[in-house]
Amino acid sequence: MTQNEETRSPLPLWRFAVPLLLQIGLILVSPAQSVYTHATGKTVILQTIPVDPYDPLRGYSQTLSYDISRLETLKKLPGWQEISKQQKSKNVDYLESGTELYVVLESPPDGAKQPPLAWKPVKVSSSSPTSLPANQIALKGRGAANMIRYGLETYYFPESQQQEINQAIMQAQRGQKQSLVVEIKVNEGGYGVPVSLWVRDRNYRF
Amino acid sequence: MTTDKFRSQLRQEVEVWRTEGIINDSQHEQLAQRYQFNTLDTSSRNLFVTVLIGLGCILIGLGIITFVASNWQELSKSFKVLLLLSLFVIVNTTGFYIWRKSNESSQRLGNGLLILGALTLGANMALMGQIYHVNNPFYELMLAWGIGVLAMAYSLRLTSLSMLAILLIWIGQWGFAINNLFDNSWLYQKLSWSSLLGEHMPILACIMFIPLAYLCKSRWIFAFSAIAIVSALMGNLYFYSYGIGRLFNLSTLQISGWAIALFFALPPILLWSYDDFRENRAISKSFKAISQNLALIYLAGIFYSFSFYSLWANLSRESSQTDLLKVNLFSLISLLVLILIGVWKWVRLGQKMTRHRPLRSQDLTTIVVGLMIGITALIPLWHTYIAPIPELATFAFNALLFLLSIGLMREGLTHGQRRAFWFGLLLLICRILNWFFLANTGLLIKSLVFVLCGVGVIAIGLWFEKYVRTFGNPTN
Repeated sequence: MTQNEETRSPLPLWRFAVPLLLQIGLILVSPAQSVYTHATGKTVILQTIPVDPYDPLRGYSQTLSYDISRLETLKKLPGWQEISKQQKSKNVDYLESGTELYVVLESPPDGAKQPPLAWKPVKVSSSSPTSLPANQIALKGRGAANMIRYGLETYYFPESQQQEINQAIMQAQRGQKQSLVVEIKVNEGGYGVPVSLWVRDRNYRF
Repeated sequence: MTTDKFRSQLRQEVEVWRTEGIINDSQHEQLAQRYQFNTLDTSSRNLFVTVLIGLGCILIGLGIITFVASNWQELSKSFKVLLLLSLFVIVNTTGFYIWRKSNESSQRLGNGLLILGALTLGANMALMGQIYHVNNPFYELMLAWGIGVLAMAYSLRLTSLSMLAILLIWIGQWGFAINNLFDNSWLYQKLSWSSLLGEHMPILACIMFIPLAYLCKSRWIFAFSAIAIVSALMGNLYFYSYGIGRLFNLSTLQISGWAIALFFALPPILLWSYDDFRENRAISKSFKAISQNLALIYLAGIFYSFSFYSLWANLSRESSQTDLLKVNLFSLISLLVLILIGVWKWVRLGQKMTRHRPLRSQDLTTIVVGLMIGITALIPLWHTYIAPIPELATFAFNALLFLLSIGLMREGLTHGQRRAFWFGLLLLICRILNWFFLANTGLLIKSLVFVLCGVGVIAIGLWFEKYVRTFGNPTN
């Protein structure tokens, strides 16, 4: 038998209840930061890089990459020189894995438009920027191979809507560039969570 | 322990014996008493009922899952969370109450439900991440899940849950190690709970798993824990050796020398010298045996895999330099503690040896194993520090392999231990065959070697089996 002799007499309830409560705690703590950011964060719109029309959404989630995930985008911004100077490699086209950086995003002048316009990256810095104006916010990212990750790269959606969203994205991408944007929320620490997908004027929120 | 199948067959046989007059009624009665024929029907009925209940539970569960899935998207986030949590609590609580009952079949059912509950914990954590779009690495989920299950295993002292917990944490640890290896991010690792856990896993695993083996009095848990600890050590060795490299300002080649020396020596040092805690001497004598067996298997694996020339020849080139200044020295504490434990244990072994004069045979074995470990640690260091010695290293590892296999066979012969004997023989044959496979010899010679090996194995094996039988100790 898989248990020992001592436990033959009924175990007191707390022996079961204490680890169960710990397990419930573990379940609840993992999404805590996301829930908090969802509730208190500031809404920001990010421009995605167009997804491959022949290989769109698969399975239950979409791997998104953004304009600001690309080194080419960030390299043009003020503050990039500072970050690349701190690296061992003198190559400006390369960001060492794990390097932390903050991207400051500025809201477009016409912020209330529907569908919303993407925020513009205005500068990068290696430390959390202080005293930003009200129309700007800092998003924290980390270098990963030849791109930057923000923890916003996976968006889960129901499989049943896969076909529909795929169609919408394919149609939208034939048109203008600004067709696929992602609405996120960002907290004071620069931590972001994805909230919804905008494909042209349609909003998908799961 | 006799199986139900054997008992029911025996009951039929006994009936025949009685009708044929081989045994009389009282003998029949004695046999019926001894093998409890009267409980046969109820026990098979109980098993049947358990299977039915299990099947029913699975079907009900599937029904609920499909029902929920059909409406899943329409449910609000908080309702989903509530639903998941209540499923989790219900499965676990039912499991616990059924398991707590004293009869065996309900304990089995309860145990099954508790395992299901532990799996539900993982499903819950994964789904929670999905609902709230959390982007955490996979290994964090495994580590957190494993710790949750470990807490339950400790509290209920259940072997099944313990094994599951060790397996989950083991997967998490390897996920962490592989993840770090591929994008080199261990150099820039931000301090987080999972990085702390991952970097110090060898020592944390000792603290988390070994007491569990004592609490559950389970040899399986001990073996699993020992494997998990050693593999955690192996997974983390490359950044430990980079830490050593930073401390002593070494070149990459020297660092790999250290990594390999530690990889060779530290696991068998710890495994061989493991001794039981005094209070549990009665059951844990077997833990020591498991640990020593694992040490021998580990050594055999090392000798075998490094007995090839090409491995050593490739190990004499410098690779690209890594920025050592970024290496985190904090993780070295774990390594240092393990080394200290190993040294202390071997000093104790030495002290014990000096007390027994003349030397006992197991002390002699310990000395031989110690020498073997010493040589395996010295060779890679010599190879990378002083001068490359690929030929000598290959020769030494082959010699060690042969020594070990001969030693195992000898041990098997003197104590009539089948497993040791066959393991040694297998090791020897494998190495010889490998030699001829890789060597540039003609097919005819290869065929001759195959035939000779085959004849040799059959002859030695038959002789040994006969010897063991006459030795009068055919067990083990």
